[in-house]
Amino acid sequence: MNQKETVSYCLDALKKAGAEKAVCSLTNSEKKELNVEFGEMSLFRTTFDTSMGMSVIVDQKKGATSINKTDKDSIDTAVKLVMDMARGSQPDDAYDIAENQSPQTFSKGDESANQDKMYQSLEEFVDYVKSTYPQIQIEAATMDFNHSKSFFQNTNGVDFEVREGMYGFSPMFLSKDGKNTSSFNYTGVSALEIDKPLHKYGTIDSLLKQSVEQLQTQNIPEKFVGQILVTPDCLGDFLGFITGDISDGKMITGNSIYKNKLNKQITHPKLTFHSHPVSNEIADGYFVTSDGYIAENSTIVKNGILKTHLLGIYGANKLEKNRAVNDGGATIVEAGDNPHSDIIKNIEKGLLLARFSGGNPSSNGDISGVAKNSYYIENGEIKYPISETMISGNIQEMFNNIGEISSDRIDFGYCIFPWISFKGVTIS
Amino acid sequence: MKHESLNKYKDSFTHYTELRVQENRNNRVQLTNGDVTGNVATTESGVSARVFKDGNWGFSSNPNITDDSIVSVVKASTENVQFMNTKDSSRCGYFLPETKANYDIDLGTKKDRQNQKYWVDFIREVDAYIENKFPELLSRNLVLGGLDMEKSLYTSDGSESYSMTPRALFAMALSIEKDGAPVSIMNPWGGLGHLEDKIFQPSDYFSDIDALVEKLKQKADGVHANAGMKDVILDADLAGILAHEAIGHTTEADLVLGGSVAGDFLNQEVASPLITLIDYANTYDGETCPVPVYVDDEGTKSEDVTIIKDGVLKRFMHNKDSARHFETEPTGNARAFEFSDEPLIRMRNTAFVPGTSSLDDMIASIDDGYYLVKTGNGQADSTSEFMFAITMGYEIKNGKIGRAIKDTTISGIAFDVLKTVDMISSDMSWSSAGMCGKKQLIPVGMGGPAIKCKVNIGGR
Repeated sequence: MNQKETVSYCLDALKKAGAEKAVCSLTNSEKKELNVEFGEMSLFRTTFDTSMGMSVIVDQKKGATSINKTDKDSIDTAVKLVMDMARGSQPDDAYDIAENQSPQTFSKGDESANQDKMYQSLEEFVDYVKSTYPQIQIEAATMDFNHSKSFFQNTNGVDFEVREGMYGFSPMFLSKDGKNTSSFNYTGVSALEIDKPLHKYGTIDSLLKQSVEQLQTQNIPEKFVGQILVTPDCLGDFLGFITGDISDGKMITGNSIYKNKLNKQITHPKLTFHSHPVSNEIADGYFVTSDGYIAENSTIVKNGILKTHLLGIYGANKLEKNRAVNDGGATIVEAGDNPHSDIIKNIEKGLLLARFSGGNPSSNGDISGVAKNSYYIENGEIKYPISETMISGNIQEMFNNIGEISSDRIDFGYCIFPWISFKGVTIS
Repeated sequence: MKHESLNKYKDSFTHYTELRVQENRNNRVQLTNGDVTGNVATTESGVSARVFKDGNWGFSSNPNITDDSIVSVVKASTENVQFMNTKDSSRCGYFLPETKANYDIDLGTKKDRQNQKYWVDFIREVDAYIENKFPELLSRNLVLGGLDMEKSLYTSDGSESYSMTPRALFAMALSIEKDGAPVSIMNPWGGLGHLEDKIFQPSDYFSDIDALVEKLKQKADGVHANAGMKDVILDADLAGILAHEAIGHTTEADLVLGGSVAGDFLNQEVASPLITLIDYANTYDGETCPVPVYVDDEGTKSEDVTIIKDGVLKRFMHNKDSARHFETEPTGNARAFEFSDEPLIRMRNTAFVPGTSSLDDMIASIDDGYYLVKTGNGQADSTSEFMFAITMGYEIKNGKIGRAIKDTTISGIAFDVLKTVDMISSDMSWSSAGMCGKKQLIPVGMGGPAIKCKVNIGGR
């Protein structure tokens, strides 16, 4: 059986076993991965994997399983298991599967990677770091190419085929000079092709430069309440609170502070952001939602107003609200008016927050953590890199106290973020 | 799925080679406000090979476990290392230390396995108790599940091992509304073993649930911590994460090679003389640890690593490659999470050794500070600066427990914080639910007594 026939066989087997509604997906993937450890190219990995997922609804009870085998015996065993699991569960009217849509095939990216070119790119990066920033030690760096082919079918007639090839690069590094050691820092980018030196992607080169500066840190002069300018590398930690809070888990439990805020103001009017999984602006988006709908682009917050929750089929049915047209992610934050260098000039006292090492925000949005790889700002100037400094605040309040959003933004391949300043944060 | 006789493939080895067949099985039942929101079982298995030659590594994996696929992953990983060797021969002549160990252990239950319906009914009965007794709660989220890791290993050094290591987990997150905003608390139970060996009657948990809801209500009425450097007591349940995050990571030899500050401190006094910190391989005080490792995924017999002895940094955790670099012996810390993962240096069961103080005396010794009893996520740094979330804690005023505090975070430079330790309790508590993330996830055990020290606490 080829891949598509395997998925069809599985779906038929689930129906014959008594499934009233069923979903089956199959992904075959191949990854080539080059690894740098301690500044040396040291490991080359090629991995093959298969993921076969199936979920069923019987008597409005649901079960799900996944295996990584596609032989008939393995599928038949998994079909029996998932049917037993569903029958042993509890009914819920909110369970459902995606409605029928026209069969479609989606494709992007290279079919295969040139491992010589991958090696050359990574080797050039290692050489660039050694020659430009001799105090930097690359703790680890991974460059990979992941190619996958997926088939997705359900008993309502959904039939999608997706082929993707994506490059990824993620370096982790620190600086060391004698007994001075900087905090480590890291970043990651995705790209459909490698068409420039790796250090020119995302914020990589500026983070490398900052790492050397961070060999010498100081404590802040005193505890104070001030502004933080959150960098694009760090912004996802804060936006993630909003997107997590409007998704199924928090919404269904009732713990979301935005559960009754649709079409209401939830942030400062300066903020607009979108989820664009099928935009040409986002290399590493997706074509199909986890529920089996063709993904569409959407605006999540427009001028501070919440325009959609991010509910899947179950959450939407459970809460009698609209299903989102995508799974979130692929986030694009709209640019502001001034470059981040000008925003710094308007900060009387605060921090440039480049990495946040913090506890998960509490349900009400309270958050605290350590300002890593960050700088003290006073009278509109970056003064020095800091250590042993914590920030505390409430994310809901922070988004209502946005100072400025930068006009310059960073494209990481999977999101596009600016710098955003927040007022009224406790810094200690 | 124990895979017999991987040694029959040794003729396909041309260099140092590790060959591993592994299956991970995960199952989970989740109940949210009484509704089943998760009823999932996953199985992932396959074969992988890793080859070392002239300072480079090649790795390959395949989900199919057949004679042909096993030979093909050995061949592919060998070709991968050869590819690396053609690009860089500067480390030609490097050899790994040889280790040989043979060990089989199956920690799975000997009882009949229950089906998913049994566990759905179990978790519903617990949930019904909570719903009936505490209708004022905003939400109830209960998760019951398990992870089995089953590995068969053969190495070109002649090591052969098999391990079946199950972990059971029962966790609940409860929330209550206070002034229009949710306040939540979470608690895990479980540990080494299948659900059948760890989770018994629903009523076994009722008293714990009563206490958890009481803490949640205290927290809902809690106050923000006063941000700054404070005297604190980390309860025994928290000491493990201090051991793991604050010190453990900085003393993994791969991170030392990457520039961790601990590399400068070997054989130096880095902590109060009260501090002894050990990464236990598999056994503590005659009892099996939460994550026992007898032979690691490079075929090295696992041994305890005394990281800090009486305040002096004594040793790092090693795999074969780091042991080669530091000219020492590998310690059996190389572990991989999935069949498609290469082994990395990972902690196993990292714990502070208990002291002699009583918790009551420790609390009585603080005029203005905090008693911190529950933790969330944590993170470490190459500088030994750590942070972890505090999800339950209390003020200490004039030697007595005061008001509960809201969620916060503590941080500090670990090697500075450990020098401030002046009391350690005589009890010992193991955490068995932790997963550590370092390229791959891996189950870890963490433990320790209550510790009195100074840390930076977040707040207002």
